[in-house]
Amino acid sequence: MLKRINTILSIVFVFSLMLSCSEESNPEFDIQTFTTIFDNNKFDASFFPIEMRQTADGGYIVLGGRKLDDSNFTGIYLLKADKFGNFVKEIEVEETSVNPVAKLTEYQTKYYFFCMDPLTQQAQIANVDANLEAVTITPVQGGLTYPAAASFVDNSFILLGYNNGDKQTVISIVNPDGGILSSKGYSIGTGEDIEEPIIKHYIRTGRQYPFEVGKVSSNLYFFNGFFNYTFSLVFTDMTSDDPVGVVQGQQADGGFSALTPLGGNKFASSRFNFGENFLIPNKELSTSGITSTVDLGGYSLPELVPNANVRILRAKIDTENVLIYGSDTKSKQIGLLFYEEATGTFISSRYLGFSNPFEIASLTQTSDEGLAVCGTTYVAGRFPRICIFKLSKEQLASNLNK
Amino acid sequence: MKTTTLFMLCFVVALAASGQEKKRKPSAYNQQKQNKEDEKFLEKQWWLGFKAGPNLSKAHVVKTYSIIAPTNYEASTIGKKYDNFNLVGAQATIEVSFYFKRFLFSFQPTYQNSRFAYSNSFVWSSESDLTNRVELNFEQEQKLDHAILPLIIKYDIYGNRLRPYVQLGAYSAILINATKSVTSSGIDNAAGGENVFQNEPIIVGAKDLFAKSYWGLLGGLGVNYNLGNNVRLNLDIMYKYGMSNISSTENRYGSDRLSGVGDAMDDLTLDNLSVSIGCLFPMRFLSSGFKSLDH
Repeated sequence: MLKRINTILSIVFVFSLMLSCSEESNPEFDIQTFTTIFDNNKFDASFFPIEMRQTADGGYIVLGGRKLDDSNFTGIYLLKADKFGNFVKEIEVEETSVNPVAKLTEYQTKYYFFCMDPLTQQAQIANVDANLEAVTITPVQGGLTYPAAASFVDNSFILLGYNNGDKQTVISIVNPDGGILSSKGYSIGTGEDIEEPIIKHYIRTGRQYPFEVGKVSSNLYFFNGFFNYTFSLVFTDMTSDDPVGVVQGQQADGGFSALTPLGGNKFASSRFNFGENFLIPNKELSTSGITSTVDLGGYSLPELVPNANVRILRAKIDTENVLIYGSDTKSKQIGLLFYEEATGTFISSRYLGFSNPFEIASLTQTSDEGLAVCGTTYVAGRFPRICIFKLSKEQLASNLNK
Repeated sequence: MKTTTLFMLCFVVALAASGQEKKRKPSAYNQQKQNKEDEKFLEKQWWLGFKAGPNLSKAHVVKTYSIIAPTNYEASTIGKKYDNFNLVGAQATIEVSFYFKRFLFSFQPTYQNSRFAYSNSFVWSSESDLTNRVELNFEQEQKLDHAILPLIIKYDIYGNRLRPYVQLGAYSAILINATKSVTSSGIDNAAGGENVFQNEPIIVGAKDLFAKSYWGLLGGLGVNYNLGNNVRLNLDIMYKYGMSNISSTENRYGSDRLSGVGDAMDDLTLDNLSVSIGCLFPMRFLSSGFKSLDH
């Protein structure tokens, strides 16, 4: 009898233990990991992200583009999501400003980006608050036109633009009010042919070139753009008429597809060459003289689409400094490739998206040490829409085999 | 098929048990004495049995989740519509019960296969050109295999050859396996005509998308029919009311294949209505001849 009572008590104990292990709703999980596709039910609507930033409230602000009915240029689209990835608000900015360009920069509680006047092509500087309450747009002084890329260093913006009158790529230092602190132009060469890919880039009827601009050291700046008939990485002190150094591409068919300074002359980069893609996680580049991207080698990745978009993020996963490369695969997924920053050694990969096509736009390390990936997906296989993948710290750590 | 096999097994065992019964005619004095002993003996008994049958499931949404976040239309228009008590599952149970003065304390480990489905649909259309319209419908079916571990108290309402009973209890369910299938279909009017299409279903193992365990309460009624040969036939109707979430909160977005088509599991509790038929055998006998005194 005692044995039977013991058996019954054991069953009751195990049963109680199981009840205590039941799944509880946990909002933390909903913050750490989610996938959201922001859908608009208009058949003709087209939205794509350019850059995403996490806001102080844990949410996300996305700078994007949208198709305009009455303009060849891209309209400006801003979207706010909360920390769970839920849609909060969107703004379709009036068509008096078009062609938004990265980077989306947080400065003094506002988020800044550059765009342009569709009639004059004059560059404009825009800012918006984290809740998308109001967008303020101011013309950049000095007649800068065709903004292509921007970065933010030492409380000033470095703006890359194109002057189609002088056929020059122009690098400028711009303060947050739109005033020009300094500016220098470099010839792209002469003739209609060399300008054609640039104009097609702006009206999005041709290849989207990976224009970049930034600062390497106290008086050394760089831009990735057209120079001397070639899509090149150009180093400049912004005073000399000639660049300090040039890493040449292959006219419009080769060059860097992404670039991130790692300190000194070291860069994490990727390059394209007549459709092929090469990742170069850690390489010292010559900032003086003339060299060629073809000589840089790199890891060839045939899984990527020809001339793939590449984004590079310097991230800290646990205690390790890691480079995360995001790109578009031929299987229509977003591929994430993890490399050790110090050595450039490959660690692992992860692929996002399935069924519908997905394309990379932006990588952001989040305040919870996770990763947010913003991209374009084609809902129902055809409607371009903005999507966000949020990966948790634990998911990232699993990519380091921890 | 599993259900039929189990029922046949019960039937064969019942026949075998029947063959072991020895029939005697007691005298009047012995009968009276025997009745007193019987009454005392019948106050408690252990029963072992098997039962199996079909079940239907219903999902209760605790909190809804969606991959698709509408920016210019109401989320309710693409909400999931659950198809409750429509897809037939099956269960098989081993029953161990202790009878004491009309009450049965029962442990009934069960293998339960349950199914439920939901659907949602999306429409994209153009205001300027009415032929530019695409409609997409998704049908999502879940198949869950659980080990159900219930503790049940039964009460025999009426004690005779036919013994109806009511039952109450609680259960814990341990996930064994899960699969999801997604079938998409639609109508595309933008191709120049009405293009009705249906894509191949996506079928994925979905064990990670569901909670490893959940629990619930149960109630029901049933009836035992004494065949008079140590065997009771049992008809059991049970309603299991899920009390905790069956979805994994941590792995909700764990399947890229499902996320890609816009599917994320809601937080759900699962109700289950089951009907089982089986048989019970006594485990305590008055004599070595397997006489149980069960009338």
